[in-house]
Amino acid sequence: MWAKATAKIRVKVDIMPGAKSIRWYYLLPLLLLPALALAAPVTAHGSNISYTTGPAVALVAQFDNGEPMAGAQVTIYAPDDPVNPWMTGTCDAEGRFTFMPDPDRPGNWEVQVRQSGHGDIVVIPVGAGMATAAGMGEGVARYAPVMQPVGGVGGYTPLQLLVMGASVVWGCVGTALFFINRK
Amino acid sequence: MHLPDGILPVTVCAAGYATGGALTWYALRKINRQANPRARVPQAALLTAAFFVASWIHIPVPPTSVHLILNGLLGVLLGYYAVPAILIGLFFQAVMFQHGGLTTLGVNATMMGLPALLAYVLFRLRFLFGRESRAGTGLAGFLGGAGGLALAVLIFYGLLVTTIPATLDIRMERAAITALALAHIPVVLLEGVFTALVVLFLQRVRPDLLDGASGWTPPVPVAAPDPSLPGIRGADEPHA
Repeated sequence: MWAKATAKIRVKVDIMPGAKSIRWYYLLPLLLLPALALAAPVTAHGSNISYTTGPAVALVAQFDNGEPMAGAQVTIYAPDDPVNPWMTGTCDAEGRFTFMPDPDRPGNWEVQVRQSGHGDIVVIPVGAGMATAAGMGEGVARYAPVMQPVGGVGGYTPLQLLVMGASVVWGCVGTALFFINRK
Repeated sequence: MHLPDGILPVTVCAAGYATGGALTWYALRKINRQANPRARVPQAALLTAAFFVASWIHIPVPPTSVHLILNGLLGVLLGYYAVPAILIGLFFQAVMFQHGGLTTLGVNATMMGLPALLAYVLFRLRFLFGRESRAGTGLAGFLGGAGGLALAVLIFYGLLVTTIPATLDIRMERAAITALALAHIPVVLLEGVFTALVVLFLQRVRPDLLDGASGWTPPVPVAAPDPSLPGIRGADEPHA
């Protein structure tokens, strides 16, 4: 598809060699774009926090290229006080952090993990809210581990990301072709 | 180096939208005053694609890893068009990959767009050496590519260091921010060299492209299309 698009432009250049408005050289680097994307499909510098809940909550914080957010600072807010931190702490070298929410304060616990301007906030339901999240009865869900990826590029497979990226790139190429033809 | 949602205070995000909006307005006004505002839209569109993809390319700089930005390259090659190009690239990075964020779109656009205009100014230094000088063009390209990113890193550093929330361990967070900013030094040099190579290549094959971006008025090859006839193909071509 890429080679075909470039070939099409080259034909136009041959037809109108004097037309300075056609900047076909700009299309050449595009041939490299899909290769670069394949080499590193998910390496945007976002962050991705997953957690497991049971009696305690275990977090794993990673940049979305899979690198752990070692030493990232964790701030936890209880459901009834979103202003003052209930607890603060630091992730270990693997980006892990474990804490025991107060079971007498059910609701949505907010956990912010951040390091050097990158980070994310996850909302972890505890108690009654957790039962809803797990889709089970309260007594069961309270101790059933719930694995839930949150934030970052979670939810998309590398192939989906590749297709999304390629569609944006193709949109840009299409814009360029549209304006070239209007000259 | 994109600032995500939830890191900056709301006031900073709002101020970022104000400065980003003003910057975009200024750039669009400058573009609209050119003889043919559409002439460079194809380049801008293709470099938007390059900017969009560049953040996927990671460079490991222990203990962290950083990615390409290319805002200096866009400034050098596009001039004022770099601002809308960066804004559109950032928007798609935010909505598609949660890279950056919609609340911080204005902040990020200012952080990268303003230095892109600086890169454009730095690249004009090549006229001091004469338009044909390859050494002068290469040096100015390096300065533009590296200077554009360096200023963006400084803005990034300044914004983060002055807005660390009191609930965090400020000393530790400041050290982490400083480490990340310093990790961008190799990227600054790399993008400078890359920009220099690109402008030297263009100087050899299509020097008119560099002139157009640098405010040098190139001869207008065809009359500007009539804007009232946008859908009619070839409306500006002479009749046989």
